[in-house]
Amino acid sequence: MSSPVRILTAVPICDGHDSAINTINLEFIRHGIEVVYLGFHRYAGDIVRAAIQEDVAAIGISSYNGGHIDFFAEVVRQLRRQGAADIAVFGGGGGTITHYDARQMKRQGVDQIFFAGTSLIEMADYVKKHYGKPRKRMGIKNQDLALARELTAIEDTFARGKGPGRNRESRNVNRASKVIGFTGPGGAGKTTLIDELVLRFLRYEPKARLAILSHDPSVIGKGALLGDRATMINSQDDRVFMRSMATRGQAGGLSPATESCLARLTKADFDYVIIETVGTGQEALPFRSGLIDQTVLVMNPDYGARLQLQKIVMLDAADIVVVNKTDLDRAKAALSEIEHRLTQNKRKQQLVATVAKRHRDPGVDELYEMIKGDSVAAAHDDCPKSDGRSKQSRRSKSAATGKKK
Amino acid sequence: MSKLGAVIEAAEKHEKFVHDQVKRARTDQKFGREMTERWSKIKAGIPVARAPTGLPLPRLALPEIDEAGEIARYLFGDGLPGEFPYLNGAYREMYLEPLHEIEMGDYGNRKSPDGSNGDSKRNGAKGNGTKPRVEPQEEPTRLFSGLMLAEDTNKRFHFLSAHQRSKRLSTAFDGPTLYGIDSDADGVMGKIGEGGVAVDTVEDMVRLYDGFDVGAPNFSASMTISGPAPIIMAMYIAAAKRRFGAGVVPNLRGTIQADIFKEVQAQNETIFPTEASLRFLCDMIEWTTTHMPRWYPVSISGYHIGEAGSTPVQQAAYTLSNGFAYAEMLAARGVPVDQFGPRLSFFLDCGLDVEYIALSRVSRKIWAIGMRDVFGASPRGQMFKLHTQTSGRSLIAAEFKNNLTRTAAELMLAYMNGTNSCHSNSADEPFTTPSEEWIRLAAHGQAILLEESGIFKHTMNMLSGSPGMKAVERAVEKAILDEFREIESLGGVLAAVENRYQRSQIQNAAHRYEQQIYDGTRPIVGLTRYRDPNEEPPKIELARTPRKRQELQVNRLKKFRQKHAGKAEKALDKLATVVERGENTFPALLEAVEVCSLGQITERLQELVGRFRPMV
Repeated sequence: MSSPVRILTAVPICDGHDSAINTINLEFIRHGIEVVYLGFHRYAGDIVRAAIQEDVAAIGISSYNGGHIDFFAEVVRQLRRQGAADIAVFGGGGGTITHYDARQMKRQGVDQIFFAGTSLIEMADYVKKHYGKPRKRMGIKNQDLALARELTAIEDTFARGKGPGRNRESRNVNRASKVIGFTGPGGAGKTTLIDELVLRFLRYEPKARLAILSHDPSVIGKGALLGDRATMINSQDDRVFMRSMATRGQAGGLSPATESCLARLTKADFDYVIIETVGTGQEALPFRSGLIDQTVLVMNPDYGARLQLQKIVMLDAADIVVVNKTDLDRAKAALSEIEHRLTQNKRKQQLVATVAKRHRDPGVDELYEMIKGDSVAAAHDDCPKSDGRSKQSRRSKSAATGKKK
Repeated sequence: MSKLGAVIEAAEKHEKFVHDQVKRARTDQKFGREMTERWSKIKAGIPVARAPTGLPLPRLALPEIDEAGEIARYLFGDGLPGEFPYLNGAYREMYLEPLHEIEMGDYGNRKSPDGSNGDSKRNGAKGNGTKPRVEPQEEPTRLFSGLMLAEDTNKRFHFLSAHQRSKRLSTAFDGPTLYGIDSDADGVMGKIGEGGVAVDTVEDMVRLYDGFDVGAPNFSASMTISGPAPIIMAMYIAAAKRRFGAGVVPNLRGTIQADIFKEVQAQNETIFPTEASLRFLCDMIEWTTTHMPRWYPVSISGYHIGEAGSTPVQQAAYTLSNGFAYAEMLAARGVPVDQFGPRLSFFLDCGLDVEYIALSRVSRKIWAIGMRDVFGASPRGQMFKLHTQTSGRSLIAAEFKNNLTRTAAELMLAYMNGTNSCHSNSADEPFTTPSEEWIRLAAHGQAILLEESGIFKHTMNMLSGSPGMKAVERAVEKAILDEFREIESLGGVLAAVENRYQRSQIQNAAHRYEQQIYDGTRPIVGLTRYRDPNEEPPKIELARTPRKRQELQVNRLKKFRQKHAGKAEKALDKLATVVERGENTFPALLEAVEVCSLGQITERLQELVGRFRPMV
């Protein structure tokens, strides 16, 4: 079986009309398409960056607020400038895009415009028929695009049922990046928390580069909605390489291709690689030993009765336990119950309370310091003339190997 | 329990109260007699209306009942127009033609010259209630418009209001303004002046309403903007002061949408985290209800919830519960209910689904019960003051002239529900900001219904209370209260919003709606039924902002910023201090807009409180 068709959908800047695209996304997924959804009110630059990193075959833009001729043209122009002209651009806008507009837009490089009255099935069929072909993988100058296509190649290998073979090289020897794994139940706020951490990394480490592998569940051979990017407002940055992965039928929170993709990412020059699992259950232990450097379990205070805590096995394995949403009523009790549970482990585990949705939350600051660990000093005495990034990388590496168990 | 829980209880109690009164009227002879006597007195007080044909009609139609229990059910359960719980109308006469002389009819004994519900007011106007008014009334027609630059919209405003006694300007803003972004921000070229007017500075605001006396009693402005509403409100006030001096402020009349909840639930035009947005909003409401007693500082809107694809019941339930949540927040801040209650207004969508026969009627009733019994509001604060717009979503690009009929049917439903004001969509709206040709037809649709036809001008309650309408009322009311229970079980409106409950529900409904179009459950004439196979793409005159105009806007903005370069930073720092201290931000905004652009203020506030994190 080959990989599902992968596309990215979004709504342009200054446009919040997401009703049509939400419905179309659902229909695409139903037809076996993997949809990376970037959300509404998105800059052309953010759309193009995401399309390249996610290595989608096409970008679908739903525009209802006017200005579509300029906006679509800008997306096409930026794709060409980035060497990604083989990513097709299509879209629609109900009646707001006239036939005359559409002709002009096609002359400017837009592949297809769907007019009002086109059925959802027609659209899904068009996407599957036209955007399912393989694209070039060699001789790509754009680094992000080259990396993205390698990740696609890895995913394709797994989709065809071939494992990584002897290239199982994800052990953390000699890798340049610090790898942090985030896991926890759905709705605990992992994505928001990661995005808030990204804000701090970008601010306090002006040269640092980050990669994020974010997972959403899917069934083998079926479509998926990969929507984490839409809520990650701080991660829309050239220093952040984000990739959304569908689990494609694998249980446990990760995709079959995750480890190999991670191995590839850690060879690139990222200072940090963050993995976010899908929402997990009590029994989940998503990270194989040695896969990552630091595990963060994100919980919310609503885990049920105290007894439930005994069943959450990640509480034994996590390096850091975050109790998020501590603005909720039950937070105080939850914190003390979890603290008690952790002391039973008699391991050096850290506990932190956060309200990730709150701007400048001190709990998230604290978590950021825990993750940075001993590389904090490096950032703070960053000498402007020295190469901050390579210094950072070395520090991170030593931190990582130092932690090796 | 949030106040919404208390509203549910109050609604249940009211139901029981009505039931008890019916029983009492039937068992307690004295009370029964009181009921029948009151009924006769009401009927005796109804004047005669004469149709142009000479046909005499009662000016208020009442059900043909004479049994005490049924009378009690009507008076307590529905209420006369203008009386609690306002099912039949927030005001006593709504769209009736003024009477030039009073002629009493044979509807009872001739005792009172004007009916017994003498203290209610017609259509918001101040009347003494003893004599029907004879001076011309304010028209309920509102036409939403906004295009290109401020002076272009200003020209459209003068065109639209040329023949209206009252100047009621309803303003649409362009995308960058709705998102608090300046016109020279990266990537917004092409969006400037599209779908609404571009406003970056107080100078644009001066141009926008040029030639209108914004302090006059016959003038009101409404501004459809929510995310940056407090900043835009401050600009409006600052512009009025520049033109007429500070003395104009208490006379300013109008509405600003400013509804953050529906943005987060449906329309997605919000720029700060929800809690921060709500704080800025409440700051503004507190300030305007103190200094501008004739202004409506929030228009609690279901329109965009409906347009995003919700069911009519979801629309009403979310809108009402959002309204109660605002009331709860304002009460918690210590604003007296009689200060904010009368200044809350509502905005609903009216489509073609059967629920719309009674949706606003029921909404009016639930709002009145909640405001009276939970918040202790006086009658002015119990009234659900409603603006309705016909459904844009129901308009179809294929054979688009059919949209005239769709809008006409929706208008009929809106007026049957007793909306206080109404906007009718133009038939060309699936394609563009309406052109003058179609906008004129849309406006005239309302005039034909209210002025040419005799449906609404002679008799109140002309179409109220049919068995079918009653059946819809019952079903809709029950469904709305069930939705309330669901929201309450999730911890109230704010908690439900954060868990994206309303969003998910709306999206599911929207998806089902689309599927129903294509599986035939929802026939669409000209698209899925009776489609003309030879239809050519229509020739529509498009309102698009030429590049040169967009560049002019950018240049003006840059000049403004240069002119105020020194003072802007200072004003922003002052604003920042107020934000950090937790004081009311509105006075600092009023100062800031004098020297800062919209985008400068948005950016500074976002640094302080963060940006809105979209929910998918």
